[in-house]
Amino acid sequence: MTTLLIVDDSPIARQILRKCLPNDDDFTVLEACDGRDAIEKFRQFRPAITFMDMTMPVMDGFAAIAEIRRMNPQAVIIAATADVQPKARKRIADLGALMLLPKPVSPGSIRDALSRARVALEGETQG
Amino acid sequence: MSDTRFSTTEKDILQELMNIGFGQAAADLAQVIGLSIELSIPDIQLFKVCELSRHMAEKMAGEQEFSLVEQYFLGKFQGIALLALPARSGKKLVSLFGLQDQCNWSSENLEMLEKEAMIEVGNILIGACVGKITELLNDVVLFSPPRMMIQDVRDSILPNHLFAPGSLAISLKTVFHFERKKITGQLFLIANQDSIAWLKTALNTFMEQYE
Repeated sequence: MTTLLIVDDSPIARQILRKCLPNDDDFTVLEACDGRDAIEKFRQFRPAITFMDMTMPVMDGFAAIAEIRRMNPQAVIIAATADVQPKARKRIADLGALMLLPKPVSPGSIRDALSRARVALEGETQG
Repeated sequence: MSDTRFSTTEKDILQELMNIGFGQAAADLAQVIGLSIELSIPDIQLFKVCELSRHMAEKMAGEQEFSLVEQYFLGKFQGIALLALPARSGKKLVSLFGLQDQCNWSSENLEMLEKEAMIEVGNILIGACVGKITELLNDVVLFSPPRMMIQDVRDSILPNHLFAPGSLAISLKTVFHFERKKITGQLFLIANQDSIAWLKTALNTFMEQYE
């Protein structure tokens, strides 16, 4: 069982992402509605993989990724965002997120992202 | 008369689509000007066409003079896009397009260059944003050529051929900021009442694939 945390202020974006998850995998899915909520849920549940929106009220995804990576430098975070500008891509990479997943997500893009996340998680276990 | 009320879910879908649409638009513009654009959370509101001035005044509170780029979009989703930029941002935008070496032009030509820079920013942002939203909703729109007006945006009126007085319109607004240039702009997409029934159906059809 893999625990996922989906962070987005839009309930629609969370629903879309949840529905794009592969049916043949066993997930426990948690949700958070902004960066601060994400940090709290991450601290409490330590999800294996976090999907993080970047443009959110209260605390944006950039600040949340930084804080989560301070808590756990190995945290596997996928930035799921509509902001696909080069600067956003660089900031996301610099913060140590695994990858940027452009919105709208699709079952195919989610499957690919999860595959990359699993490789990263296996690397952690072996390291 | 069809139901023009939007449910919370429909507004949430529209907000997410505007977010995706403007994200695409910002990426397209950033590629051209080599500068990042900070995005904000979109705002969705339904209002009466005759209340446009009040609607805009509320949205632009605290701002003074604006340059306004307007462009019509015509499809099942139809209306007007208004890009509001601070009146004196033209010079800064000229430099973004690498045209500052032409600043020894006459003031008349320079003014024209500034207008062209604003129109080009409007064209890219509006085209990409509306194009992405309508693509996701399986519509195709045609665009009028963009044009610029220097006026107080709060005096804007909507054209009667698209917006019948007394009818409803829906406004999708996003605020954005050019990094290092201290330019904050606002993009309004205002769709007419004919679009609203189609839009509600299209939004629900869009979500059906995720239910």
